Amino acid sequence: MTESVDTQEPLVRIRGLRFSRGNRVIFDGVDIDIPRGKVTAIMGPSGTGKTTLLKLIGGQLRPSAGTIHVDGQDIHRLGNRALYQLRMRMGMLFQSGALLTDINVFDNVAYPLREHTDLSPSMIRKLVLLKLEAVGLRGARDLMPSELSGGMARRVALARAMVLDPMMIMYDEPFTGQDPISMGILVELIRALNDASRLSSIIVSHDVQETAAIADLVYVISDGKVIESGPPEAMMNSDTEWTRQFMQGLADGPVPFHYPAAALEQDLLEASC
Amino acid sequence: MHNRTVEILVGAFMAAGLVAFFFLAMQVSNLSSSGNGDGYEVIARFDNIGSLKVRSPVTMAGVRIGRVSEIGFDRRTYEAVVTLRIESEYNVIPDDSFAKIFTAGLLGEQYIGLDPGGSDKFLQQGSEISLTQSALVLEEIIGQFLFSKAEEGDSFE
Amino acid sequence: MLDSLARLGRVGIGVLERLGRGHLLLLAIFVGLPDLLPRLGLLLRQIYSVGVLSVLIISVSGLFVGMVLGLQGYYILSQFGAEQTLGVMVAASLVRELGPVVAALLFAGRAGSALTAEIGLMKATEQLSGLEMMAVDPVRRVLTPRFFAGFISMPLLAALFSALGVLGGYFVGGGLLGVDDGAFWAQMQAKIDLHEDVYNGVIKSFVFGLVCTWIALFQGYDCVPTSEGVSRATTRTVVHSSLAVLGLDFILTALMFGE
Repeated sequence: MTESVDTQEPLVRIRGLRFSRGNRVIFDGVDIDIPRGKVTAIMGPSGTGKTTLLKLIGGQLRPSAGTIHVDGQDIHRLGNRALYQLRMRMGMLFQSGALLTDINVFDNVAYPLREHTDLSPSMIRKLVLLKLEAVGLRGARDLMPSELSGGMARRVALARAMVLDPMMIMYDEPFTGQDPISMGILVELIRALNDASRLSSIIVSHDVQETAAIADLVYVISDGKVIESGPPEAMMNSDTEWTRQFMQGLADGPVPFHYPAAALEQDLLEASC
Repeated sequence: MHNRTVEILVGAFMAAGLVAFFFLAMQVSNLSSSGNGDGYEVIARFDNIGSLKVRSPVTMAGVRIGRVSEIGFDRRTYEAVVTLRIESEYNVIPDDSFAKIFTAGLLGEQYIGLDPGGSDKFLQQGSEISLTQSALVLEEIIGQFLFSKAEEGDSFE
Repeated sequence: MLDSLARLGRVGIGVLERLGRGHLLLLAIFVGLPDLLPRLGLLLRQIYSVGVLSVLIISVSGLFVGMVLGLQGYYILSQFGAEQTLGVMVAASLVRELGPVVAALLFAGRAGSALTAEIGLMKATEQLSGLEMMAVDPVRRVLTPRFFAGFISMPLLAALFSALGVLGGYFVGGGLLGVDDGAFWAQMQAKIDLHEDVYNGVIKSFVFGLVCTWIALFQGYDCVPTSEGVSRATTRTVVHSSLAVLGLDFILTALMFGE
């Protein structure tokens, strides 16, 4: 792999991104830089299109305006073949793990290797076992995905995302719905893998505590715009009221507790009629 | 499910399907008597072919020896031009054979029957059968019958 | 007035869009064919789940349909003293119509709905998206093998259906009702034509296999990825496939047997 691009250049550069689904505008002019070798977190309330952002970076969706450069290449101008080439160097961890349910753990992790390389079966076996060892599930290699707990499935998916030694891994809500132990394991793993394999990681999440603990850089998005960005400590004590409300998890603030509605008295009176 | 079991079951399935198909081809229809491709074509002209159709049988002494492969119309002579495809094993049919259009049963489908002639030359690809007899059209027969009855009646008077 | 016109227009555009997406998908499935050839194992596994698992329902239905045809045919034909032609009647109706059509309807219910649900769930659980992000085209790897498995299995299933139906008719006609064995088979062989009847039936079943599998895969691939969306798509698969089979059967019959 040739490093043709200056390493100081951000790995992912998003400029003026606009995206809408039907009449709903999801992104309205978003600029994000994802630096190399760091863990970058993109945070925001549910429904702000964080998963959509990952799909845009992965080239699965097309923006209505704006550009996304990944490793210097404009991902939405690539032909199919070049896009697939680039995707081999991206890993993505889906919220559900997205393991193929009809093959076992070992075959799931081996899948990208068998698809994209001509390695011998013994070589594949070694690589897969190493990756499974890294996520602590070497012993679970013969299980079917349906026999795994949610946390284990995510770890297997992580091993699969890592198996081609990508330059970046995107995590879609990695902490949602995990018990404290699996959550702790995942937090450790993401940080450790990032530092050990010179990866760049993008985490999309609304779990503030866990994400802030491992992120080097945090972007907060809401209503289709980037509200603020910076290192997590700075964000915790941000001047912006909105960011503070989100990062500290306050119930009321600029984002009101109540969904917009008519005054309560009026509603109650109508109901009694 | 192990790979090998899947393979065996799929193999059995495909074999069963093919056996079923061959059963339909050999036992239900009759593969041997509907030869195609090989064989030779001869032409016969008829004034009227009735309801003869493409793929109608061609028989000799009641044995099917071929099929009608094409029906055309000669715009100059106003005749029907019928192409018969005769299987190659029946290659010793005299070229002065007589081709008639028969009806199987009173209302059944029509077919061509060949009556052998006495010539020592045989029909070949592209030959023409010159002796033909048109289909009997039921209405015409009835019409003729009534007409002749009427004439008989006249003569008695 | 204008509103209802606009609504009609919207429905029309929606239908056209779906049709367009469906055809693009079919094209993409065919483009994936060369990629399938070195991976016959995938095809085999799908023939197993689409074809082998449908054998039981198809065989049992075929047998019973044939037996009913034998029974009904005998009662009607014996009124005209023509029970020797029972074999012709049973075989002609099975080979020309009932074999391909009923097998396709059963296929849509048994295999088509399963395909839609499987693809829909793969979509809902992000497996298709996951494959895409692993730089694997889900159409080639997931849809193409299933499509060709359906395309290959359907004619075999229809042939099984017809063959067992003829045997069922023979069992009832020859075995129980005393139609003469020789007449049963001889009349059948004399009247059933390999090209006109058997081959046309096979062509029909290829067409039905293509259409049923295509509809099933498209409904799964295009469904709303929620449990409700998948269940609706499954229902649509069965309804659309059945209607398509019956409609196409009319057209094909008119083309093949019409003079």
